[in-house]
Amino acid sequence: MGELERLTRRHTKRIKLLHRNLEAWIYLLPATAVLAVFWFFPVILSIIISFTNWKGLDTWSTVKWVGLTNYKNVLTDPEFHQTLLNTLNYALYSVPLTIIISLIAALLLNTQICGRSFFRTIYFLPFITTWVAISIVWRYFYDREFGLANYFLRMMGLPRLEWLSEPRGIWTLLFSQFGIKIANPLLAGPSLAMFAIILTTIWRGIGFYMVIFLAGLQNIDRSYYEAAEIDGASTWLRFKHITFPLLSPVTFFVLITSMISSFKVFVPQFIMTPSGGPDNTTITVVFHLYEKGFQGLWLMGHASAIAYILFVIILIITLVQNHIFGRRVHYGD
Amino acid sequence: MPLFAEARAGRERVIIFILNIALLIFLMFGFRFWGWKGICGYAGMLILIIAFLKNIWKRPRYINLTLIYQILFVGGFFMVLPFYWMVITSFKSYNEAMAFPPTWWPSKFHWSNWIEAWNAPKSNTWGEPPVPLTFTRYFYVSILVGVITTAGSLSTAILAAYAFAKMEFWGRGLFFYVVIAMMMVPGQVLLIPNYITLARIRWLDHYAALTIPWMASVFTVFLLRQFFITIPADLWDAAQIDGAGRFRFLYRVVLPLSKPVLITAGIFDFLGNWNSLFWPLIVTTRPEMRTLMVGLQAFNQDAGSDFNLLMAASTFAVLPIVIMFFFLQRFFIQGIARTGFK
Repeated sequence: MGELERLTRRHTKRIKLLHRNLEAWIYLLPATAVLAVFWFFPVILSIIISFTNWKGLDTWSTVKWVGLTNYKNVLTDPEFHQTLLNTLNYALYSVPLTIIISLIAALLLNTQICGRSFFRTIYFLPFITTWVAISIVWRYFYDREFGLANYFLRMMGLPRLEWLSEPRGIWTLLFSQFGIKIANPLLAGPSLAMFAIILTTIWRGIGFYMVIFLAGLQNIDRSYYEAAEIDGASTWLRFKHITFPLLSPVTFFVLITSMISSFKVFVPQFIMTPSGGPDNTTITVVFHLYEKGFQGLWLMGHASAIAYILFVIILIITLVQNHIFGRRVHYGD
Repeated sequence: MPLFAEARAGRERVIIFILNIALLIFLMFGFRFWGWKGICGYAGMLILIIAFLKNIWKRPRYINLTLIYQILFVGGFFMVLPFYWMVITSFKSYNEAMAFPPTWWPSKFHWSNWIEAWNAPKSNTWGEPPVPLTFTRYFYVSILVGVITTAGSLSTAILAAYAFAKMEFWGRGLFFYVVIAMMMVPGQVLLIPNYITLARIRWLDHYAALTIPWMASVFTVFLLRQFFITIPADLWDAAQIDGAGRFRFLYRVVLPLSKPVLITAGIFDFLGNWNSLFWPLIVTTRPEMRTLMVGLQAFNQDAGSDFNLLMAASTFAVLPIVIMFFFLQRFFIQGIARTGFK
């Protein structure tokens, strides 16, 4: 009798377990179905396509396996090198500047001034408006003849700049004022056209990162500051030894996410310089992908290779950043 | 004693106000009459205040506050300037928009710009499109696609997040790590295969291509999961005693409790969809299937240098989101602050 009882109890327990698992999987089903078809599956498909010579209207029966040819073509393409340089310049200039300015803004806003939510709203507004509309407005802003940017320059007594049509690098332009010539494309910095887009990006990003920093600042315990005041620490010391270390997790997060998203940028370059900018200096990697895969010859195999190389680049940069800055992050007591 | 402190605080406010206005006027006139030298003078004055008073004695509070206000105001001016310029230009005539030096207030308010920009797509299509093509159509597509995608994304995310947060099941850890690994892959890798898939099943140029691939968002699942975890287990126990099943518990207890998070997640999903350009750009070819962003981009290419019309189009494209922002500010800010603490 006891044996049968034990067996039935185990059997029912098993059914209950199965029932519970099944229930959970049914809850997960809708999300998993969509993600499997449109996220998981394409990741694998993308690698396969990058090993073929897929063009536009091909189907699985008409493509040919070409192995690593696409990757070789991409990596030896001087156009791609230029594209990579552009994107690197964009990331290296826009990310630190945005972070520094938004940190300063957050620090200023964290004081006891009145009208904080007013300022927060104004600074945040550029971020919620769409990239497309903003790019159109700034394209007008940077117009050589009628743009506000050149108007301000003229008012200050400085000569007009070509802005979105200027292929020369910013350092080249700057140092040529002092008679020094910089011809090396790596040292010349982003072209003025790309720098104009970088300025737009900074303008747009300040509000977003400011809000994140504000939240981080407000999480720092008051008691640290009180202790510092008792010890008579100055503002700079307070910042260096309390604020900055305790803010480092947030700073680290902001650094990584903004770096990653600046490598994937497409909209401002596409809207402000649809033809690729002066001397192709504003084509970013994703823009290049669009041109190769969805325009011209619709070389989708080639474009898939570009996408995967982008993935690897982002991965490497994230790992490097993690390694360099990760250990400096202070997670509090 | 208290009266004296109050009077001092009031006096302080007046001093700050006067100082700020004075400094700003100095900046404006310095810029107008001495150009960049005026700006240097202004900056020099600020630096002087910081350095000079720092050495003599500890800076009084009103100086600190004045400096902070100055920087915030000047920064704020640059934040707002493009918006002001966009709206102002949308009312100018074509000639006035092309004037140099530019005018800061339109001589006549041309409301017709807005109407002309709104109807502009009509005149740029080949032949007769089956649907009348104005910005109304673009807005319609964007709103429809946005609402459907957000509803779908929230539904799938609620179910999945609930499972992750509250249920024990085989493969729970595995799922988690696979999902996290997938989040590392940039979206650009998925574009081409998804496009090819959709081309094979003939979903291109239809609403399905614009909505279904985005019906599940890993970010939303995580956001909701974080919140669901904080719901105490006692509630579930109590509900079980009352005879409720899991779904009824989800529907009647968890969801009402999660309203703020749901609104935040919904806003972010909707905005992400509303603002996207690349995907709608590649999956639509017919002008009547364009979303607002693609329509705006097409208008930008067609209108060339009709900046007054372009600004009008930008303004009414931006207006709905700005209005939405003013009403739902709290959820925006909360949501962003939350993402910083993953």
